[in-house]
Amino acid sequence: MKRKAITRLTIISFIVGLMIAIQYNTVKKPDSRDTRDIWEIRQELSEEKKKHSQLLSEIEKLKKLVIEYEESGKEEQAKVLENTVHQLREQAGLTKVTGPGVMLNIRPAEELILSGYEVEPISPNLLIRLVNEIYRFNGVYIEIDGQRVVFTTAIRDINGKTTVNGIPISNSNVDIKIITESMEDAKKLYSYLFASTFQDDFYLDNLNLVIHPAEEEITISEFHGEFTNTYIRKSEGE
Amino acid sequence: MWLPFLGLLLGLALGLLTDIQIPHAYENYLSIAVLAALDTIFGGIRANLQQVYDDKVFISGFFFNIALAIGLAFLGVHLGVDLYLAAVFAFGVRLFQNIAIIRRILIQKWEDRHVKKKETTV
Repeated sequence: MKRKAITRLTIISFIVGLMIAIQYNTVKKPDSRDTRDIWEIRQELSEEKKKHSQLLSEIEKLKKLVIEYEESGKEEQAKVLENTVHQLREQAGLTKVTGPGVMLNIRPAEELILSGYEVEPISPNLLIRLVNEIYRFNGVYIEIDGQRVVFTTAIRDINGKTTVNGIPISNSNVDIKIITESMEDAKKLYSYLFASTFQDDFYLDNLNLVIHPAEEEITISEFHGEFTNTYIRKSEGE
Repeated sequence: MWLPFLGLLLGLALGLLTDIQIPHAYENYLSIAVLAALDTIFGGIRANLQQVYDDKVFISGFFFNIALAIGLAFLGVHLGVDLYLAAVFAFGVRLFQNIAIIRRILIQKWEDRHVKKKETTV
C-alpha cells in the first residue's frame, strides 16, 4: 500500500514539476511575436529602401568629391576646398539660399478679431510641430519671420513672447519661407500642408495659416547669429 | 521516499528541456493550478507522515483542487472580480500550515530517534 502511494505521489509530483517548468517557460520568455501584416512590412521595407538610396547617393557625392580632390592640382585643390567650405556654410545656414519652395503666412483671423477675440502670440509648440513636419516632408531650409532656422535654433517662449533664435517674432503677421530640393518636392510639401490639420490647429489659436502654392524661386536670408562650439577646438596645426 | 523528488526533478527537466509554452492568456490559470497542485502534494506528505494518508482522497484532491482553482479563476475573469486571489489566499495559507505541520512532525521524529539512541547507548 505504501509503495503504491509513493508511486502515485511520484507521478503527481512529476506532473507538478512539468507544470512549474511550463509556467516558468511562459513567464520567462513572453514570445514577442511579429504581428505586422504584409502591408506594414512592405511600408517599412520601402522606408528602408529610401534610406538606402539616400545613403547611396550620398556615397556617390562624396566619391565624386574625393576624385575631384585627387585629380586637381595643388592650386586647384584650394579651389575645391573653398567649394567644400562654401557647401558646408550653405548647409549650416550661413549663406543666402534661393530655390523652389513654399511660402506660408500666419496672421490673426480677422473675423475673430472683429468679434472681440484677442490676438495671441503664436504658440511655440505649434510652431515647433510645424517645423518638424516641414522637415519630415523634405523641407531643407526654413526661415521664420526673417529668422533662419539652423541646427541650433530654439523656438521658445521668452517672457510671453514667442522667439526664434532668441528674437521675438511678430504677433500679427509671420512669414515662413521653406526651400525644398526640387519643385516637385515643393509641390508635395504644399499638398501635404494643405491636407494636414495645421490650418485648423492655427485657427484654434485665432490664427489663419495661409499656404501659398509652390514657387520656383524663394530666397531665404542667412543666419545672423554666431555658432558656438562647445566641444570642437581649433587645431593648432602640425 | 526520494522517489517523489525524483519525479519532480524529472518533470522540471522535461518541461525546461522541451521548452513548452502556453498562450499568455492562460498563464493565470496555470499558475493557480501549480499552487493547487503544490498544496495537494504537501497535504499528501503531511497525511502520509500523520499516517492518515488515503489514496482516494489524495488523487481526487489533486484533480479536484486544480479544477476548482481554475474554475474560480475563470469565473473571476468573467465576473470582473479577481476571484483567483481567493484561491491564492486559501492555497497559500494551507501550504504554510501543511509545511509547518510537516516540519513539526519531522522534528518530533528526529527527537524521538535521538532519545532512542541515547537509551540504547546507556
